[in-house]
Amino acid sequence: MSVAATRPETIIELRDATREYRGHAGTVRALDSISLSVSRGEWLAIMGPSGSGKSTLVNLLGCLDRVDAGSVRIAGKDINTLSRKELDQFRAETVGFIFQQFHLIPYLSALENIMLAQYFHSMTDRKEAMAALERVGLGDRAGHLPSELSGGEQQRVCIARALINQPPVLLADEPTGNLDAANQQIVTGLLRSLNQLGHTILMVTHDPEMAQMADRIVELHHGRIVAEREASLAPHTS
Amino acid sequence: MFPRLIMESFLRQRRRKLLAALAILLGTTAVTAMLAIGTSVGDKMNRELAAYGANIVVYPAADTLDVQVDGINIRPATAGSYLKEADLVKIKNIFWRNNITDISPELPLTVTVRTANATQQVPATGYWFHHALRSGDASWTMGAPALHPWWKLQGSWPSSGGNAIPNEIAVGSDLARQLHLHLGDTLEVQNQPERVAGIVSTGDATDHTLLVPLALAQAWMGRPGVVRRVYVSALTKPEDALARKDPDKLSPKMHDRWYCSPYANSIAYQIEETLPHTRAEQIRRIAQGESTILSRISGLMLLVALAALLAAALAVAASMTTAIVERRQEIGLMRALGATRNTIAGLFFTEITLLALGGGLLGYLLGSLLAGRIGEQVFGSSIAFNPMLLPATLLLAVVVSLAGSAPSVWQAMKMEPATILREDA
Ligand SMILES: Nc1ncnc2c1ncn2[C@@H]1O[C@H](COP(=O)(O)OP(=O)(O)OP(=O)(O)O)[C@@H](O)[C@H]1O
Ligand SMILES: [Mg+2]
Repeated sequence: MSVAATRPETIIELRDATREYRGHAGTVRALDSISLSVSRGEWLAIMGPSGSGKSTLVNLLGCLDRVDAGSVRIAGKDINTLSRKELDQFRAETVGFIFQQFHLIPYLSALENIMLAQYFHSMTDRKEAMAALERVGLGDRAGHLPSELSGGEQQRVCIARALINQPPVLLADEPTGNLDAANQQIVTGLLRSLNQLGHTILMVTHDPEMAQMADRIVELHHGRIVAEREASLAPHTS
Repeated sequence: MFPRLIMESFLRQRRRKLLAALAILLGTTAVTAMLAIGTSVGDKMNRELAAYGANIVVYPAADTLDVQVDGINIRPATAGSYLKEADLVKIKNIFWRNNITDISPELPLTVTVRTANATQQVPATGYWFHHALRSGDASWTMGAPALHPWWKLQGSWPSSGGNAIPNEIAVGSDLARQLHLHLGDTLEVQNQPERVAGIVSTGDATDHTLLVPLALAQAWMGRPGVVRRVYVSALTKPEDALARKDPDKLSPKMHDRWYCSPYANSIAYQIEETLPHTRAEQIRRIAQGESTILSRISGLMLLVALAALLAAALAVAASMTTAIVERRQEIGLMRALGATRNTIAGLFFTEITLLALGGGLLGYLLGSLLAGRIGEQVFGSSIAFNPMLLPATLLLAVVVSLAGSAPSVWQAMKMEPATILREDA
């Protein structure tokens, strides 16, 4: 059910997006007039050295942050026009986050961590949350606390949580950055199957091999896109 | 989900929350105790303070106040007129009868005392000691000891002798020393043998006198049933502008208000009404002292309670500040999952409210117990649990805790999820 390649619908569109951080040591331009568009169902890898603005970009796309100049359109909405409250709601509906640090609530079980995302989105549904856990292969770990799960398992819970409200966009900031090779493979496999199911994925990674899984790679440098290419290893050509 | 979230998060950072709850508990304990004492003891304290002296004196209208030099009446005992002892019970029938805590008649005279070595004239005063005053079914024990709780007695007060003329007296400590009298000794007064039942130390001129049952003094004088003056101790309302008005010049309406307020003046007025041919006057100095002491004590209580609440608010503020700093990741995550600022605030405020209710409830119970103890120890009577104070205490606990935590919760609301999430990345 991959989105037809014939008429790729643009789901994310950045126009001259600029984001500056004002600190005591002066202003850092983390993103410098970036323009980028992503089609629905596309898997985009974002690469670049540390400090090049990758996380800043992800935060903008995740509606956690706003641009200082330019515009960000997600699913047809200009997020600059949204009030803070609308942005909170839009975020819950539109994006799912997968963090390098997992960010699971330590005192809630795996299942409850997923239900928390349902709660902030609309209402909880234990069955659905359970199904999501099963989809990432953790059906038997529902009652475990994050501290009782391995890093890979925690990241899978995080992925299940990101998916639970069926957001059109998945944002993954170094999803495998804290994982060993075996777990990295499991998570990569999960992302791939999600993408094959039609999810749009934006993924920050330092790992070129992992980036090759994506459809397209953009490379940032000092807040600018310096390279943009089709991935050679794209596993699915649609 | 929300209850689960609250419950789990409530159980976290237990030590810190315990501290905050403890602060709320202490604060509300103090407040409950103060309120319980303030509401139920205002009266008791007044009664207690009233014990430190009379605030109204009653004497025959034909008379002027006795001329006293150094506490000793130098008017000839036969001069002037008298009040009837039998009339005194009427004082317990006036409008403010329940505010009358003690009635102490006095009948001073000079008597001739003969001991083994000497004969001399000494002042004596007839008193009620523990006189049972009866009106219908009601009965009160009244007399000088209750009016002068600081009097120190060795032995016992002379018995009133029932229907017979009593033959026991008490002797002021200075006089006892001078006459070499001891407990149980017998001496001759007005040619009758009297036993020394008690030796009294008062700290004033009374120490140089004989303190005798009123009936005995009347017998010595040959005037049964008379008293010279009466001291009355009454619970009174602090004097205000209305209290100082001349009742006869007030409008009927204001006169009613004046009459129906327990001012020392209006009680004195009512005594004059009920005992014809008498003058009743406020003993001003003492009555005013009482109300200042009372207002100072309530002021002090209020101060202590406010300080306790302020401390509780500060403790809650401190504990919330660190709690929120420690949980910023969580806040950031919840925001990323779509939680609004208000949801975050609601989460923390709910938690604090629960904490406040818990601490406040315990504080109410503890404060009530404390008030009970204080009531027993200080005022000699118990203070019942006052359920009306529970909602007030809980409300206070919640308001104080919310106020104390508001600044840090505001900080939590303002946290930007992007910055929080990237902190450890
Ligand atoms: N909240 C902030 N305040 C000030 N400067 C910031 C802030 N966030 C990011 N920056 C700066 O913006 C630039 C881009 O940061 P960003 O986190 O986007 O980099 P990154 O590409 O994700 O790096 P890494 O690979 O190390 O995660 C950096 O120079 C960083 O110091
Ligand atoms: Mg980064």
